[in-house]
Amino acid sequence: MPTPDDERFEIYLKQFHPLVPDPMPTEGRGQASRRSFVLRAWFAAVAAILIVAAIGLHIRSNRVAAPNTAIEAASPKVVPLQPLTMRSANALLATAPSFKAVVDGLAFRSESLTLPKGEQSALAVLGKEKIKL
Amino acid sequence: MHRHRRNTAEIEFLYRQHGSALLLFALAITGERGRAQDAIHQVFLKLIENGSLSQAVDKKAYLFACVRNAVLNEGKRDDRNTQLEPDSVWFIPPDRDYARERNLRRALGVLPDDQREAIVLHVWGELTFSQIGDLMGISSNTAASRYRYALAKLRDAMFAKENFCANS
Repeated sequence: MPTPDDERFEIYLKQFHPLVPDPMPTEGRGQASRRSFVLRAWFAAVAAILIVAAIGLHIRSNRVAAPNTAIEAASPKVVPLQPLTMRSANALLATAPSFKAVVDGLAFRSESLTLPKGEQSALAVLGKEKIKL
Repeated sequence: MHRHRRNTAEIEFLYRQHGSALLLFALAITGERGRAQDAIHQVFLKLIENGSLSQAVDKKAYLFACVRNAVLNEGKRDDRNTQLEPDSVWFIPPDRDYARERNLRRALGVLPDDQREAIVLHVWGELTFSQIGDLMGISSNTAASRYRYALAKLRDAMFAKENFCANS
């Protein structure tokens, strides 16, 4: 049977508190792994954004390039169908900002245009005419 | 995965709850702070890895038994009484009176290992004599009488020392 002295002594002993142990290694590891997980998530997110952006840019550049090639491919066909006639020259004069721009535009057109039979180039006609100033 | 996380959380909670008493118990067996701390970490890390704590009926007693086995299985302990580290503090004493803490530690160190274990398990571990008996492989009556005998010796040692210190 415990005596009153024993009980009092036990109470006295319990006033001494055992030391707190060092934290568990897993707690630090857990925090580190949580931190590394967050870092990894950030890197993954940034990488995903970069990849999406790169894919988007690639698609966009393809779309922009496609019409150019189409125009380039189509232009040799279009040009012979629209030879320079008086009507088209008048239309150009009506829409162009200046006369010089029209002349420049006409002067740099390809020379290798073949006109359908029965049609003449307006420039050729004007070139043959002798205009007195 | 979820179950494992819950198990880990429970083990970490038990570590916070009983870690101090377990450390003191390990100190009472090994006498060295480093070895005691290592033994506790080893036990808890194993528990997290194996997830075997859920099978234990009396978790607190099971933890003390695990710590005891870990320390004893280490194989560094010999038959003679443990040599305590003189500068290693075991307790936070009341009123920060470290002279009394040293006095208690010395008095505990004088006790035979099994008596010191019984004192630590009952006073600071708050285990019953039945639990102590199961843990040490003795009957609860033997555990109780061992405790009473150790308590009387401890008291005599401490107060004789304190009176001696007071008189000198």
